[in-house]
Amino acid sequence: MRVHRTLTHRTVIVSAVLALALAAPASAVASKRLIIDGSTAMLPLVQKLATAYHKAFPKIPAPKVGGGQTDIGINDVASGRVDIGDASRDPIVGQDPEGLVWSKVARDGICVITNTANPLPNLTQETVQGIFTGDIRSWSQVPGSSLTGPIDLFDREAVSGTQDAFQDIFLGETLKISPSATQESSEGLEVNAVGADKSAIGFTSFAATLNGGVHTVDYQGIPCTLANAKSGQYGGVRNFWMVTKGDPKGEAAKFIDWVTKPGNLTVRKIVSSEWIAIH
Amino acid sequence: MSTAQLASAPPSGSTIARAPRERTNSWPLVDRVGYWLCWTVGISLCLIALAIVLFMLIKGISYLRPSLLVRSPAPSQVQSQSGGFLDPIEGTLLVAGLGTVIAAPLGVAIAAWLSEYARPAWLARTVESALEIIAGAPSVVLALFGLLIFAQNFLGFLSQRAASGAVYGRSFFAAGAIMAVLALPLIVGATREGLAQLPDRLREASFALGRTRATTIRRVLLPAIRADIATGTVLGMGRIIGDTAIIRILLGAALTIQPVGHVPLIGALRGTGSTLTSYVYENSPAGEGNAPQKAYAAAFVLLLIVLFLNGIVTWLTNRGGQSERGGLSRAFRLIPYWSRLNGP
Amino acid sequence: MPSRSLSYTRRWATGRTDRRVERSLGALAVVVLVFIVAILATVLVKAWPSFSHNGLSWFGPGGNVDTQIRAMAESKPLPGHSIYYFRAWPLIWGTLLTTIFAVLIALVVSILAAIFLTEFAPPPVRRMLDPVIRLLAGVPSVIYGLIGILVIASYIEHHVISEARKASVAYVVQLNGKDVMTATLILTLMILPIMVAITANAMAAVPLSWREGSLALGVNRWRTIWRVSLRTARPAIVAATILATARALGEAVMLAMVSGGRGFAPNLLDGITALFEPVRPLAATIFENSEGLTIPALAHTVYAIGAVLLVSAALLSLSGWASKQRLKRYGIRA
Repeated sequence: MRVHRTLTHRTVIVSAVLALALAAPASAVASKRLIIDGSTAMLPLVQKLATAYHKAFPKIPAPKVGGGQTDIGINDVASGRVDIGDASRDPIVGQDPEGLVWSKVARDGICVITNTANPLPNLTQETVQGIFTGDIRSWSQVPGSSLTGPIDLFDREAVSGTQDAFQDIFLGETLKISPSATQESSEGLEVNAVGADKSAIGFTSFAATLNGGVHTVDYQGIPCTLANAKSGQYGGVRNFWMVTKGDPKGEAAKFIDWVTKPGNLTVRKIVSSEWIAIH
Repeated sequence: MSTAQLASAPPSGSTIARAPRERTNSWPLVDRVGYWLCWTVGISLCLIALAIVLFMLIKGISYLRPSLLVRSPAPSQVQSQSGGFLDPIEGTLLVAGLGTVIAAPLGVAIAAWLSEYARPAWLARTVESALEIIAGAPSVVLALFGLLIFAQNFLGFLSQRAASGAVYGRSFFAAGAIMAVLALPLIVGATREGLAQLPDRLREASFALGRTRATTIRRVLLPAIRADIATGTVLGMGRIIGDTAIIRILLGAALTIQPVGHVPLIGALRGTGSTLTSYVYENSPAGEGNAPQKAYAAAFVLLLIVLFLNGIVTWLTNRGGQSERGGLSRAFRLIPYWSRLNGP
Repeated sequence: MPSRSLSYTRRWATGRTDRRVERSLGALAVVVLVFIVAILATVLVKAWPSFSHNGLSWFGPGGNVDTQIRAMAESKPLPGHSIYYFRAWPLIWGTLLTTIFAVLIALVVSILAAIFLTEFAPPPVRRMLDPVIRLLAGVPSVIYGLIGILVIASYIEHHVISEARKASVAYVVQLNGKDVMTATLILTLMILPIMVAITANAMAAVPLSWREGSLALGVNRWRTIWRVSLRTARPAIVAATILATARALGEAVMLAMVSGGRGFAPNLLDGITALFEPVRPLAATIFENSEGLTIPALAHTVYAIGAVLLVSAALLSLSGWASKQRLKRYGIRA
């Protein structure tokens, strides 16, 4: 009797292990899903593109899109952990790893934002530089602001592409954002932080301001809108890139070709909704 | 003393029978201050805990809608389109299930060895110390270790690979395995305490009937402490459900469960997803979503699960008829075992 | 238990089954041992480059921690230093501040609460407090963090920190309610249940005859508690403190949410304002930098922080375990 039960036990265990062992390679052979991460400014765009790509080619699984900010995405793709890295700034020679290929997919506007309780009408370049480098510390020194009291600066983290782009475009080569600013780790967090603090000022991509909650400030007299960014009047515009290690291959090549193909109406419609299409 | 007074005297070894009212009039000032401080602290603790529970209750009930429990989350900044938290709930169950399935047999086996065999003695003490170290290790460090292990090439079948061949290293398998490590000390502790409470005569009787030690453990001792094993397992589950750091690091930051491959359960376990804890984190002001309402609703569901697990532990520990000591229930006396419950 | 089972030497591992089972169970137990050794070894090996490039000044002060992390993330070493340059003092100081304050407050409160629970509470109150403390022990840390950010931090920012205070430090740091004070308050709440439970268990196990004897000698109840019960439970209080410190050390998520997120070392000479300045304890730093582990220098630094945490937690756990062994003298199962 005991022999019977042992035999039954052993059979059950061996068959369970065999079943699992057979299932594992079977699932490994299935079609590979693209893994993409990087810029949080590009995240909503690439997520929409991924869904549309899967809809256009149902056999191909939708790419897996994550965040993490630009520099993390670039390093991940250079080390092979992901297939495509999203970058919301231009390549920086000497800082970025070697051997990467950058494919431009869109352009985007950066807006300076303040809390809705502090609707600044306009900021000149000198005032922006003064505020963000920490020279101007109180709202009473800023023309157009009804607030008094200290300015709460919100910055992005060092690995953010948006931060690099903002510094390049608005502050110029030499000036740096004050180290006393609070650093947020994504577009969403930046918008939330500025929306929650009435003395706050920060910067973010245009698309992130669309849900309201913050006030976008005119720069050099030009309002930060999609139309002005498209026409070139608004000065704060930067590029969106998809980065691969070497030339795009295989699934990554298929996806990037589909996104950058001139005349692809689906993609153009998605991009033009909140960003600037380049084809 | 009359029979009535005898009957109403408390059992010896617990609290001292005392006069109906504490008379502190004769005490020196210092002692009186101490006495009232104790009362203040005690009542404030009650009030604070009740305040937390009531706050979460009110916020939760006002924001929780049944539709949230059955819709999957969608990435969107707009509240009405960002869906509910069905996938996080599924993710919580997946991780807790996997972690418990790995930890429970292992924990019971280790506890049986520590309690019944434990030879050589230096090995037993070393294993005990190792368990203590694991119990006290911060879960972020365990998660870092898990990242290293599961990114190795030979473990690629437990997660997915990028098209270039590198192992992604994050999946439910990875998270579940490290969660099992979290739950292990609790299961081992509870089982050992149960085994230690069993009277020797059980073992003696079994040996007298000619059974081996192994059979005794399997057929006599373990069935006798089923309640303790269950208690340990439930405590372990509670700890797994409450952890966020390991989920954030080892499960990727996907919103929905994204299975890898087409095998039903294995595919989901190899894929990434989210759990209630990471969902609450993401929707709080510290995370992406500007959705404190959804965060409150999910936190409320999480709290309900914790209350439910606590209730099971109470029921399990009261069944054994273990005596109260000093007015404290047996479940209360188990708290030091879960001294790092829902820890870092 | 080993000492009991030695009396069954005749039954000891007779037969192949018993020996086989003993060996396989022992092997499983050794797996645990191997695991912990593997963790220690891996973390220390991966942390070594960071320690070897910085030496003992890794633990010292030397500039803005966030700038150093940024330099590693961008692969642009700071002028005059290697890419591994890192001075963790602000993080260590933040950890010390929050942990020590929280443990001190929790020590006082837990002793008073334990006395209340075991001695003075009327039975209905005690019956209610029991599940309440168990609930507090079981609440996940992310929920504590949520309440901290949404309720306590915003209350402190809008009602406790004045504009003048903000302006007084505005050139160095911004005060927004997520600071040492919020972190300490919530951390205290989180470690309180453990300490109350251990202390209360120990006090309840003090032999009745000792307390009765003291009362019979005419000592009033409060002094009996203080001089007899508490003194007997002193090893338990020590064990509770050590375990609570280990817990506070390893708390990452809640502190990442409410302690301010900036590697800033508050200067105690600022007075009360120091309590409102942001910090970022060690575990929270690991948590927030867990995405960037593909960058080698950053990975080594994060593992170095992890090594510091692991070794401290291991030492604390071992000493807590050792002090719990003393309690077995009174048969106190804690």
